[in-house]
Amino acid sequence: MSESAILEVNNLYHTYMEKTPLEYKALAGINLQVKKGECVAVIGHTGSGKSTLIQHFNGLMRPQRGEVLVDGQNLSDPKLDVKALRRKVGLVFQNPEDQIFEKLIGDDIAYGPLKMGLPLKEVRDRVKWAMELVGLSFEELKDRVTYALSGGQKRKVALAGVLALKPEILVLDEPTAGLDPFSRQELLDRIALLNKQEKMTVIFVSHNMEEVAYLAQRIYVLADGKNLIDGTPREIFGNTEILRRHHIAAPQTVEILAHLKQRGYSVDLKAFERESAAKEIVSILQPFRR
Amino acid sequence: MIEPLIKVNDLSFEYKLNNKTSIPVLKGVSFDIFPGEYVAIVGHNGSGKSTLSKHLNGILKPSSGDVLVSGSNTKELQMLREIRQKVGMVFQHPDNQIVATIVEDDVAFGLENIEIPAATMKDRIDYALEAVGMSEFRQRPPHHLSGGQKQRVAIAGIIAMKPDCLVLDEATSMLDTYGRRDILNVVRELNDDGMTIVSVTHHMSEVAEASRVIVIEQGQIVMDGSPREIFQQYERMQQLKLDIPVASRLARLIHEYDEEFQSDLIRNNEIIQEVVRLSAKRGVFVG
Amino acid sequence: MAGFEFELSRNITIGQYLPTGSLVHRLDPRVKLLSFTILVIAMAICDTYVGNIIALAFAICLFYISRIPISYGLSGVKPAIPFILILAVLQLMFYNKVASGGTVLVDHGFILITSDSIRLVIVSALRFIEIIFLSSVLTLSTSTTQITHGIESLLRPLKYVKFPVHEFALIITIAIRFVPTFAMEMEKMMKAQASRGAEFGTGAWWRIIQRTKDVFPIIIPLFNVAMARAEDLVLAMEARCYTPGNERSIYTKYKAQNKDYIAILFCILFASLLLLFPFPY
Repeated sequence: MSESAILEVNNLYHTYMEKTPLEYKALAGINLQVKKGECVAVIGHTGSGKSTLIQHFNGLMRPQRGEVLVDGQNLSDPKLDVKALRRKVGLVFQNPEDQIFEKLIGDDIAYGPLKMGLPLKEVRDRVKWAMELVGLSFEELKDRVTYALSGGQKRKVALAGVLALKPEILVLDEPTAGLDPFSRQELLDRIALLNKQEKMTVIFVSHNMEEVAYLAQRIYVLADGKNLIDGTPREIFGNTEILRRHHIAAPQTVEILAHLKQRGYSVDLKAFERESAAKEIVSILQPFRR
Repeated sequence: MIEPLIKVNDLSFEYKLNNKTSIPVLKGVSFDIFPGEYVAIVGHNGSGKSTLSKHLNGILKPSSGDVLVSGSNTKELQMLREIRQKVGMVFQHPDNQIVATIVEDDVAFGLENIEIPAATMKDRIDYALEAVGMSEFRQRPPHHLSGGQKQRVAIAGIIAMKPDCLVLDEATSMLDTYGRRDILNVVRELNDDGMTIVSVTHHMSEVAEASRVIVIEQGQIVMDGSPREIFQQYERMQQLKLDIPVASRLARLIHEYDEEFQSDLIRNNEIIQEVVRLSAKRGVFVG
Repeated sequence: MAGFEFELSRNITIGQYLPTGSLVHRLDPRVKLLSFTILVIAMAICDTYVGNIIALAFAICLFYISRIPISYGLSGVKPAIPFILILAVLQLMFYNKVASGGTVLVDHGFILITSDSIRLVIVSALRFIEIIFLSSVLTLSTSTTQITHGIESLLRPLKYVKFPVHEFALIITIAIRFVPTFAMEMEKMMKAQASRGAEFGTGAWWRIIQRTKDVFPIIIPLFNVAMARAEDLVLAMEARCYTPGNERSIYTKYKAQNKDYIAILFCILFASLLLLFPFPY
């Protein structure tokens, strides 16, 4: 195992309803390494195994074959302390606002720390810390009712509920699905902050390539339960052919560049950032370039 | 002069919390939608755009003002069935609008409600599933379909009823890019065949497809015009917490470096056309 | 906690439809439902070894006729084995008075095992398996839609006594339609709360209040989600011109054919055989 990997997946398999006529192979030999402090995106078409994979990270699912190591600890170990693992790896499901069950915002965020058996003062500190990290004012909002919040606010509350466990690794499934552009951007900025300022390792699954382009330092592409390629956003998005073959949309900038390339313009598909895509287009329009 | 298909006249709506307090959501909204138009309604969360769309087929009734569909007022109970047949609506959550246990039966649901005889029902179902490209799935249970496929089934269920207008209430917001693209293609074809489309959406690349954009803010119409006009007002859009399409941003950026490049482009293919136009004009070598 | 099983939605086999296009699949669902009822009644009454073995053989034959792998039937039996065993033990222990005829095999304290109680145990187990097989064939060869259509069609005469047949059928359809959705929802909710440190079914059983409290984080959000879904569904149905109590036309109509009459006749004959033939054992 490599020195700095905080999370490592080796040749992981998972089959649902094994040995029945409805057998379905969700994971078929996944390999993945995430370094401490990295921000990694996992992308792939619906049914490529993304959700099954991330549920292995905090022990909701156990490896059928292959291994998952978190901070050097093997998750196949029968003596594994699952509760400690789930504190270390915070998993945020899709539409996490659905899981809010307390009447007051503060109470709901406190659920995890209370379950850990922390003293009240510590719980309170953690709730405050988590709320402020996601951009919710502790004093103002802790005693407000949860159901009166907007969709974007509710999602922040749910995220804070996981952050209150002070995880080292934060795993998110489609963090911004269904949000409006403003709340989406706000939430993305918060996640970026967690990664940069709090040094949290972030792993997220997403369909939205603009968001992947914005957040990820490295991308894993999954298809049919296997990891196809991994690399930096520039490397992955530049590989439009493999994305197209596995029904993964590229960022719109890359789509425009790819169309131009098809028409014979020599543009670099790696330039997915808007600024650099614009420069690419400017450069091909220069008459005395050659 | 052409009669409007939907006429919204000084529409106000408030949610009643109790006898004393009520929250105003829409405040004196007026506009007309004409046959064949493709209208996008945008606004940030809580602006009232979804509430507005639910007035178009009488799911909600105005607190004051009127909504007329082909001249029939949505307040008249006996007209509701006819109004809802004319203005079909597809909602946000794919899972929550499918009634039946197989696709075909779900499409039949609306037809059964308006008492279409069984003999003609099959043709209509064939037509509707064909139009959304889901014919091969007609015997499938819906829970095995992807989100995009479910939404296409929902659209089929509406267009089988042969409405004049299709309202999409954030129908693509839960979908991935591919699913959304499929829906957009279906909608564009329907519009080409003459169906009026009203689409409530957050996705600005979808708005760029519309022929007209209505921007709602705090229950009032603040902008109404073509997508190109609307997206030119970049600062105003930002104030309203709204996005502009990637193509628009890109065009503006390129324009900063290269003044001849038009800055008011809003669709991906327009960028490509502009590149082709300029490179031909400047004699830049291609290929 | 460690071994807790979260996978609900993907492990539900009951209600799966397996289209193979066989003769059984093509039968009128009403005929299938009626035949099923008749056969189940006959099997429940028949209490001879031979009769039940013939019935089991018949049920197995049905798998072959409907071209469904027998493993589907077996996977339905597997989860029922504990019930069958418990039932067997209970019968051995408590039904000895009822079935005290026949030869006494064991008489030790309060345990009394006779050839009749053995027969009761074995026949019950066989019945169980037969009925599971039969229901498997029914659900695997008949889509839920056909089943609801069939029920509706069979109940239609009740319309004349003001029974809301169509509403009833619609309720069943929607209920069936949302079973997989809610199974998925519940699974997700349990996993999400477990990720926040929730525990289910671990506390000591006498701490009822604690254990009840443990399920709140699941039940409350699940209820909220269900309400939101129901609200959405009502809007979507209204938008498609649904008005409760209104007359509706019917898309799927069934017309019984010769093969349907033959099938039901055959089932009636078979049921009479099970019930009336004096099997020696």
